[in-house]
Amino acid sequence: MRRFAVITLLFTILFGAPSAAISQARSTGRIVGRVVDVATGQGVTDAGVQVVGTAIGVLSGIDGRYTINAVATGTVTLQVRRIGYAPKQVTGIFLEAGKTVEQNISIANAAITLTAVSVTASAEKGTVSEATDQQKNSISVVSTITAEQIAKSPDGDAAQTVKRVSGVTVQDGKYVFVRGLGERYTTSSLNGARVPSPEPERRVVPLDMFPAGLLQTITTTKTFTPDQQGDFSGALVDIKTKEFPAKRSASVQLGSGYASGATGSSLFSATGVGGEPFAMVKHDRDMPPLIRSITDFQHLTLTQADMNLLASSFRNAWTPKTGTGAPLLNGSASFGGNDPILFGHRLGYLISATMSSGTDVKDDQVRALADRGNTKGSTVELDRFTGSTVSQGVLWGGLTNLSTYIGTNNRISFNGLYNRGSDNDARVETGTLSSDGIRAKITRMQYVERAVYSGQLSGEHQITVAQKFDWAATSSGVRRYEPDRSEFVQAIEKGASGSDVLRWVNGGSGGAVRTFSDLRESNHEYRGTYQLEIGPTSGMSTIRIGGLFRSTTRDAQSLSFAIAARGLDNSQRALLPEQIFDGRFATATSNIFSIGPLSQGGSYTARDEISAGFAMAEVPVGRRVRVIGGARYESDRLEVDAFSTLGSPVRTAKLWNDLLPSLAVNFKISETQQLRISASRTLARPEYRELSPIISRDVVGGENVQGDENLQRTNVNNADIRWELYPRSGEVISLAVFAKQFVNPIERVYGAGSGGTSFVFFTNAKSADNYGVEVELRKDLDAFGKFFTPFTFFTNATVMQSQIHLDPSSQAASTNFNRRMVGQAPYVLNTGLTYSSHTGASTATLLFNRVGERLTAAGSSPLPDVIEQPRNVLDLSLRWALSPFVTVRTDLKNLLDTPHEISQGSVIRESYNGGRTIQAGVLWRP
Amino acid sequence: MHTLHRFTVALAAVVALTSACNSSDSTGPSAPLPVLGFSVTPTGSTSARVTFSGRSSESYDIERAEAATGTFASVKTIAVLTADGTQTYNDAGLKATTLYRYRVTSVKNGTRSASTAEATATTLAFGSAAASIATDITTSRTLFADTAYTLSGFIHVANGATLTIQPGTTIKGDYNVLGSTLMIMRGAKIQAVGTVDAPIVFTSSRPAGQRQPGDWGGLLLIGNAPDNRSGVVNIEGSGTDGTAIVSGKNYPVQYNGGTVATDNSGTLAYVRVEFGGFAPIQDQEFNSFTFAAVGSGTRASYLESLAGLDDSFEFFGGGFDLDHLVAFETADDVLDMSEGFSGRIQFVVAMSTVQLVPRTGGGFYSVDLEGIENDGCNGTGCDLGFDSAPFTIPLIANVTIIGCGQASCMGAGGGHGMMLRRGTGGYYVNSVFARWSTDGISLRDAVTYTRAGSTKTPSASADLQVRNVLFADIPKVFQDSSATQNLLDLTANSLTLSTATAASLFTAIPAVGATPTGLSAFDFSPATGSPIATGGLSTFTGAIATKAGTFVTGTAYLGAAAPGGAKWWTGWTAYARN
Repeated sequence: MRRFAVITLLFTILFGAPSAAISQARSTGRIVGRVVDVATGQGVTDAGVQVVGTAIGVLSGIDGRYTINAVATGTVTLQVRRIGYAPKQVTGIFLEAGKTVEQNISIANAAITLTAVSVTASAEKGTVSEATDQQKNSISVVSTITAEQIAKSPDGDAAQTVKRVSGVTVQDGKYVFVRGLGERYTTSSLNGARVPSPEPERRVVPLDMFPAGLLQTITTTKTFTPDQQGDFSGALVDIKTKEFPAKRSASVQLGSGYASGATGSSLFSATGVGGEPFAMVKHDRDMPPLIRSITDFQHLTLTQADMNLLASSFRNAWTPKTGTGAPLLNGSASFGGNDPILFGHRLGYLISATMSSGTDVKDDQVRALADRGNTKGSTVELDRFTGSTVSQGVLWGGLTNLSTYIGTNNRISFNGLYNRGSDNDARVETGTLSSDGIRAKITRMQYVERAVYSGQLSGEHQITVAQKFDWAATSSGVRRYEPDRSEFVQAIEKGASGSDVLRWVNGGSGGAVRTFSDLRESNHEYRGTYQLEIGPTSGMSTIRIGGLFRSTTRDAQSLSFAIAARGLDNSQRALLPEQIFDGRFATATSNIFSIGPLSQGGSYTARDEISAGFAMAEVPVGRRVRVIGGARYESDRLEVDAFSTLGSPVRTAKLWNDLLPSLAVNFKISETQQLRISASRTLARPEYRELSPIISRDVVGGENVQGDENLQRTNVNNADIRWELYPRSGEVISLAVFAKQFVNPIERVYGAGSGGTSFVFFTNAKSADNYGVEVELRKDLDAFGKFFTPFTFFTNATVMQSQIHLDPSSQAASTNFNRRMVGQAPYVLNTGLTYSSHTGASTATLLFNRVGERLTAAGSSPLPDVIEQPRNVLDLSLRWALSPFVTVRTDLKNLLDTPHEISQGSVIRESYNGGRTIQAGVLWRP
Repeated sequence: MHTLHRFTVALAAVVALTSACNSSDSTGPSAPLPVLGFSVTPTGSTSARVTFSGRSSESYDIERAEAATGTFASVKTIAVLTADGTQTYNDAGLKATTLYRYRVTSVKNGTRSASTAEATATTLAFGSAAASIATDITTSRTLFADTAYTLSGFIHVANGATLTIQPGTTIKGDYNVLGSTLMIMRGAKIQAVGTVDAPIVFTSSRPAGQRQPGDWGGLLLIGNAPDNRSGVVNIEGSGTDGTAIVSGKNYPVQYNGGTVATDNSGTLAYVRVEFGGFAPIQDQEFNSFTFAAVGSGTRASYLESLAGLDDSFEFFGGGFDLDHLVAFETADDVLDMSEGFSGRIQFVVAMSTVQLVPRTGGGFYSVDLEGIENDGCNGTGCDLGFDSAPFTIPLIANVTIIGCGQASCMGAGGGHGMMLRRGTGGYYVNSVFARWSTDGISLRDAVTYTRAGSTKTPSASADLQVRNVLFADIPKVFQDSSATQNLLDLTANSLTLSTATAASLFTAIPAVGATPTGLSAFDFSPATGSPIATGGLSTFTGAIATKAGTFVTGTAYLGAAAPGGAKWWTGWTAYARN
């Protein structure tokens, strides 16, 4: 078992923007911010914001935004007034010459009695309160994580961050699922627009694609409103990238790391052709031109000379090299501001780039199959392989955000994002292939490159005080490129001296395999929403009408080729693969190699067009009740063309029209207590891959996975009741009960073939019922005495019950009848304790996470179901301020190092140790 | 201005990073690569089809010469291609039954590649009727000997129909329609009764000399007899065209759950299946003959499997009588039984000499070639694991199974004369196994050993008995002869490790590594003085006698041929490697 200690030093150099004040008088500064309604969280336009004691003032514009220029330096007080709202003063804003201060101001409806009319700006506790405010004021059940919380946590990317949300689970460090539902029932979006997934079998975007440094907020919405996309079925995770800063600033951060367990030890690692460390691999990994030129292997008669040429055309790389793990590196740079650079017009801008790389080792990796034992219900282990995987990863990306106002009532923004990452893996494992009766060593090298881009142009227009229109046009795309995966299998046989000898498994279809995969998807999405407010400010109703059109195209291909050899003797089989394929067996007279494509592969293309329209209204009933109701209509026209290697194309055309109503009632019991009741209908559509009846297989001896063109989409009926108490700013206690009924849920199940062969396929179960309770608590501990004042305790827990219903005549009937829905866990627990010094400069956060036994696949009867076992994960993150300019950070992750484990009955199907991680760094902020 | 400049630089950096992902295809060398996959097939009495793999931006010159000595002349120039793809050219206006030679040259940027090696085709004779079978057969139908049938697609005989095939009929599995296969579905029947002089032949649609294992699927019978797996179990390799039942397509075919032990799927006699075994799914090949849940009302005799992928004869559950089976050049196992098969087989000759090259993309040779591979139960729905009932208890008598003789052609996990595992039982008597590189018998697991009563000397009532078997050119009888478990007593069970070579046992078999000259290379009759001329169990007792009934009788000799008896494997069989 290898433990990692990764020490990271972060050097942060902040350019103090020396030229920042060129356009501004030395003795004045600037104040920017938003005026928001305390009840709804919406921006309030036409509010007067005035600097007390001066004549300087402005009216807030779109989304409640305001900018006051040329404010005399010193301590400033702002006053906000608007008809229908209680006036509010914000004191203690300290303004330095040439600098900009950002100050958001919330104002309350005049009908609500206010206990305080003014707050001190410096006392605002920052974005945690902002998060709970957003949660409190949202019309649906949401959880928000802000940039500040992200910075406090040891999280490096969006996936690690989002698991801090109640009811959220993150699988494989990438895939988010909410309330224990499978990731199929969670959708993700980037700045409100759908992001295509680079994973062939999933619709969810791996959130580790988004470095934490680029994130502003991650919002998890668990109840449906008609303005959200209909395939929101369990939850929507929206990632908002950072907006521009109020004042000009630039920063560069560089880091380096040392991996104690890897450096200097004999670590094997995947070989490369160049470019892998930058996720921009050279063409040497491309499919060899000779292989690529053959479009139809099965109708050609290859001569021995042809096969010799083809077998020799692959890159002769099969064995990982030994070496030392690459040092951990990370860095980021950003530059932003809000300056009159567009012909004197103010343009907000943020340009940010980030990169990280490192070596990751999965040790004590076990995989095995489960077979039923000879007594009813028992399981025995089969084909157990043990080994380890060394993965060299890199992730880099950048974003450009531009935003400008036209007048005060129109805002136009551009948001561009590009992320690219790669994993270069080598996996070596030994075990038994029971069907063939041999012990074997499998060596695999795999390189995967992923890239996501998104460009969004959006606008917000305050047409009148009561009317608003916003729109967005988004173009996004994704590529998953996996060139030249190699697998080489050697039998472990007894040599003449009785010792083990490795000899190539030169027969069959799996002894030497090369695989080339490529997936591209592009999305174009256009949406617009018109909002009208009617009625008096004290009882204003909001009507929203909008539409969306999205078109998606996907092109995916995966081709595998196997090389077999005839007539090799034992000494020849014992050669290294690089010797076997060096040409010695491919001479003009050689009669040894044969090569062929494997049927596990093929290609598919998908075209998907979704048109949607919605109408919804938010109507106050009396002073305490708000009713939000409406409906969304979605029409999805989907075509998938699948071409299996077998060559018989299957076309699937679907037209799904759905009306998705939703009704929510929010009850304001008191100023601090709220009750929400909601009911809605949503849907989940099958992934394109699942509709393609082609076969894929990940690993030698692994499972064949096959799609089914007859899959139907799933309809989900949802009901939620949630009580919330907000005792103080930044504190929350909530209790929720939810119920979901799934009609035609899609399940991943095992099918059986003669001779013990099996395969994984996707099928619709008849229905499933889910019920659950969700508790959330965030509480300052000052009630326990002065000593506890700096501490905040928070926890969220979800407990769920799920039951599947199967049609006995369907293929799914070969699975167990009495079980949870596939993907479902019985509980999810997140809890933690935060220490925050009086100034907020030093913090410590202890986080604990545990997910109940999650059903990853239904067992085929009489085998039990496949369960991902609970894991205790404990992380500690420390920030302490050595001086006002220097902060030291230490992150200890996965302190308990509980192994990842997937089991089936008594058999451990998969397990590995991720290892502990320690990172330390210094942050310098002049 | 200063600010704007910095901003522009940063934006340019992001744009540069963003655009760096765009990749362009690399271009190959300017001289043409060799032309791959070149072959010629006669398509009629006056035509032949030329096939090869073409590449974009190359043109091709096809040349033809008549007879063995004619000179080459260009018959077709294929203009510069714009995309990669298989090229076919139908050459017409040829003379009937005439040999033609062809070659192809690639031209790229004015540079000519070397010509391909010559490929030849002999055009067909005039005037035979031809018919294509491309849809499922759902009403009874007869196939006639005067017609050349081509089986195109996954043809299911269903809906209770009976397919009758006249003696002497040839049915060719269409090489061009991948996986073309004939499946006799549950409730339907096949009456394919040939004669010694007029056998019924299922073979590849490619001309002799070009045929390869896996050219087409095979013959499958799916009956309604019981097996030992629960749930839904489909024929391996079926279901690649989606789950919808579409005529001629490869939809999933369930075979388990039958209830009628006496079910009748028809009669097979003097039937050859050649060059089958296509694998629609990797490692899930069809076999030459697949018998799934076939009941005792069915009868099969005089069957030959030639050069097919996967097994020559595979049985899943069910049970019926077979006799006089021949297997030449088997890619996996000669006999493979599992899931409760309870049938009886007498007289089998099998010989492999080499690993053939299968059709590209049609499948692969196995990594564990065995003579007999019997399993109790394996996979989903074996509710009691290896102990799931009914047990696999066949009676196998008088088999002569000769392997290729070298570890290099047995596969890393193969080379066992008999692989008995996963709780199989069965009676294996009066047989000869020769030239298996690993051992004679592998009693793989403890559950299988319990079928023998977990004793080295099984009683006459045991479910697993191996009696009177001779092993020659085999290193040892049992896999681990030093183990105290999972092996049987040699003397008590009349198991003999011969000191004589395999070649000396029989009248004529080719030497290890030699290419058989044809059928005449095989005479499995005991040579004069051969130890297999005697040593048989002539009188059955106990469970074997009960099982044998009147169908299987004891013999004084071992193996498939009586000394001086009829050479029953001649006359109706064929031997060819391509």
